[in-house]
Amino acid sequence: MAQYGVVVVVAVTLNFLLPRLMPGNPLALIAGVDVGMLTPDQRAEIVARVGLDAPLWQQYLRYWGDIFTGDFGFSFRSSRPIVDMIWERLPWTLLITGLSLLVSAVVGVLLGAISAWRRGTKGDLGMLSGMISIESLPSFWLGMVLVSLFAVQWGLLPSFGAVTPASDLEGWAHVWDIISHAILPVTALSIVGTPGVYMTMRYSMLETLGEDYIRTARAKGAGERRVLFGHVARNTIAPVITVLAIRLGFAFGGTVIIETVFSYPGLGRLVFEAVAGRDYPVMQAAFLVFTAAILVANLAADLLYPLIDPRSRTS
Amino acid sequence: MQRMKRFKWGVLLVVLALAVAACGDDAAEEPVATTAAETPATTAAPEPADDEPEPEPAEEEEEPASETTTTTAPPPPPPEPVTVRAAITGDEGTLNPYTYISGFPGWNILMLQYDSLMQLDAAGVPQPWLASSVSVSDDLTEWSVTLVEGVTFHDGEPLTSDDVAFSVEFYTTNPEASRFARDFRGVADVVVHDDYSVTFVLESANPGFDVVALADAPIIPRHIWESVDIPSEHDFGGTNIGSGPYILTEIAPDQSYRFAANPNYFRGAPAVDELVLIIFADDAGAQAAIRTGEVDVIFERIPPEQIDLLDAQDPLDVILGPEFATQMINYDASIRPFDDVAVRQAINLAMDRQDIVDTVYLGAATVGSPGWIHPGHSVYNPGIAVDVYDPAAANALLDGAGYADSDGDGVREYDGQPMSFEIITNASDSLRLRIAELTVEMLAAIGIKTEVLPVDTAVWENAVWPGFDVNNGRNYQIAMWGWSPPVQADPLRLPWLVHSSLDRGFLNLTGYGNAEMDELSEALAVEPDPAERKAILGRMQEIIAEDLPFVLLLYPDGAYVYDSSVYADWEFIAGQGIVSKLSLLPPSARP
Repeated sequence: MAQYGVVVVVAVTLNFLLPRLMPGNPLALIAGVDVGMLTPDQRAEIVARVGLDAPLWQQYLRYWGDIFTGDFGFSFRSSRPIVDMIWERLPWTLLITGLSLLVSAVVGVLLGAISAWRRGTKGDLGMLSGMISIESLPSFWLGMVLVSLFAVQWGLLPSFGAVTPASDLEGWAHVWDIISHAILPVTALSIVGTPGVYMTMRYSMLETLGEDYIRTARAKGAGERRVLFGHVARNTIAPVITVLAIRLGFAFGGTVIIETVFSYPGLGRLVFEAVAGRDYPVMQAAFLVFTAAILVANLAADLLYPLIDPRSRTS
Repeated sequence: MQRMKRFKWGVLLVVLALAVAACGDDAAEEPVATTAAETPATTAAPEPADDEPEPEPAEEEEEPASETTTTTAPPPPPPEPVTVRAAITGDEGTLNPYTYISGFPGWNILMLQYDSLMQLDAAGVPQPWLASSVSVSDDLTEWSVTLVEGVTFHDGEPLTSDDVAFSVEFYTTNPEASRFARDFRGVADVVVHDDYSVTFVLESANPGFDVVALADAPIIPRHIWESVDIPSEHDFGGTNIGSGPYILTEIAPDQSYRFAANPNYFRGAPAVDELVLIIFADDAGAQAAIRTGEVDVIFERIPPEQIDLLDAQDPLDVILGPEFATQMINYDASIRPFDDVAVRQAINLAMDRQDIVDTVYLGAATVGSPGWIHPGHSVYNPGIAVDVYDPAAANALLDGAGYADSDGDGVREYDGQPMSFEIITNASDSLRLRIAELTVEMLAAIGIKTEVLPVDTAVWENAVWPGFDVNNGRNYQIAMWGWSPPVQADPLRLPWLVHSSLDRGFLNLTGYGNAEMDELSEALAVEPDPAERKAILGRMQEIIAEDLPFVLLLYPDGAYVYDSSVYADWEFIAGQGIVSKLSLLPPSARP
């Protein structure tokens, strides 16, 4: 637990320092493109108003204060409260990253298990090379192909966004609107997310299949099904759970590329724009959310592990 | 250990519960959570139509129409409400004067909700707008404005001289809206004579006050803003009270904005009844969406390679026009070897501008005048030769100035070192990057070796214009650069780029200085006679073409794509493009 505390302090400090170590100046965001046309006095006034004139250590302490009060102030770019900005985007990000994580977990685990079970067969090798090819697909390209086929060419699904703008839809029509907008991004994310799970599952299972206790189980006459579920699956799933837990943590960070290709209003785009414009407060708050999500996911994996694998239980 | 573990589980459960609660909330409240405030009842416009092509309100109105046919001749069918869905790339905040984000199209969209005292017409010339007349004293220090009577803000309150004086004071004392603070820099006093007449008293003569300030700054209502403490963080309840033709009714962050037409607009009700702005993450998304019919116009310039492709598709059309944005080469003229005018002239002669226009812009740009001013501009000096490409002359110039290639490696030397430099540019602008690559080839032909250094925009800005303050100097050798259209649209801003005194030349990013140029700059600022000002500007262009504080390459043309079956009445303002209230007002209401 103390380890987690240290990690939090280090992460928070980095979140504070990294944006400021980057070259570039947030003034243009605060005062607009015409900032160069202001008098030095006017400029100094603006810098003071957003607190950038304070010594670094004071800004750092203020950031810790923000963390404890949960008030991260206002974005330099949009002048909106940052907490609102994150809350508006987090659900959209979690909708597509969560769904695609689910899809790639189920598909990846199933195919990985089948592949390992039939190791060395044509089916296994075909699936393996298929997955390696898919993994090498750039996600922006995949996204653009999906848009040009399903939206531009066939007109089946919307090409952008999370909902139809200004449509005043309600009830089931609204739900369907959200689903239809999520299908393409979730598909793209699921496709690129599956090979990782598949590989982990396949290798983990291959390792298990080679263990002596599996041979023993077979030797004592246990049926295939009992070997698979009673012995192999239990011992295989632990590393997969770890991979998935960490991915769940990263899911909060959204996905810059897919959110950009589909103009999806998620956190990834928010952070990308904040980094591009040196929007320090937004970067600090968003990085904190990511840090927290990843730490919690790690913690979850740490806690789940002993339940799955008794060997890792401590006294 | 056991207790510790329980604690761990506790932490995890709390966090999970919070996460689940947050998601649950969202699912229940989705339509509300992403919708900003409704329009206040007092400002209610006619019910905004759905964005379906065949809106319902039209059908509803048919009934009373058919009833009246029994007694009188059938009246013309009521016009169907027009909804235009426009694509923009990037969020624009809450779109008030303190929160809009980009100079283009952010300012243009801002000005759909507000009005300025003057308005640029299609030729880019300011005409009285909120003002019914504008006059200026002979010494150019007193600008008197008479307001149109009966103009109201969206909430029904009248717009008077008092609001004008308040706007000036508010912008100057709250300079975060840098553009408007700059507009009114140098205003010593605003004298209110009565409700509809007001005089701006300037500290010194400013012949361009009409373009720079009167046609630029939105007039804000005193009754709304006088209680505002921190303007950029103030919550105005989801809409902005201006006097303009459109009323903001809904904001979905990173997704869309919705505007209803202001039926009481003082120049007449807009031709487009509802405007929906859809936020895209990049221009490729916007182009895909106009092809699928999901948007009706793109409020950004489309890249040259898309012009023919999109134009060929029915019912899409492309409108082209001149814009005063620039693509140029900057160098640090205060350091060796760029402090030598021969080197600068050689670089100018080495640039094949026509080739860049043809190769990079596929013709959709205007070849740059070395004298800075666009050949289509009213103050262009026709004596400036535009086509100056002559690599042989450039080589001769460098040979004559003693920059020889003594070791035969194809690269000339200066002060004992090779003429080898980095060209810094922002990687996000692919056209500019391509120009930089061509520049490398063209400079290689005159024995100057260069290498493109594409970096992130903030890094590039910080190298060329550290802290956006020329007093901080420069950290580059050669840079690709470009100014937004306003810098050139008003030629009286030229001294900003070339004056050697940094408080006058606050956009002088190349460290350039020339005594005659400084004198001309001073003279320009106090010259009352327009013809005389044009003559001064003509001479300044000659000096620039000769002295080359920077090398101007080209002016990209504006190209906008729209769906002509939805709305086709777009007005191209020279130097500004189609995103303005003029495009959305009926032609009779345009200046």
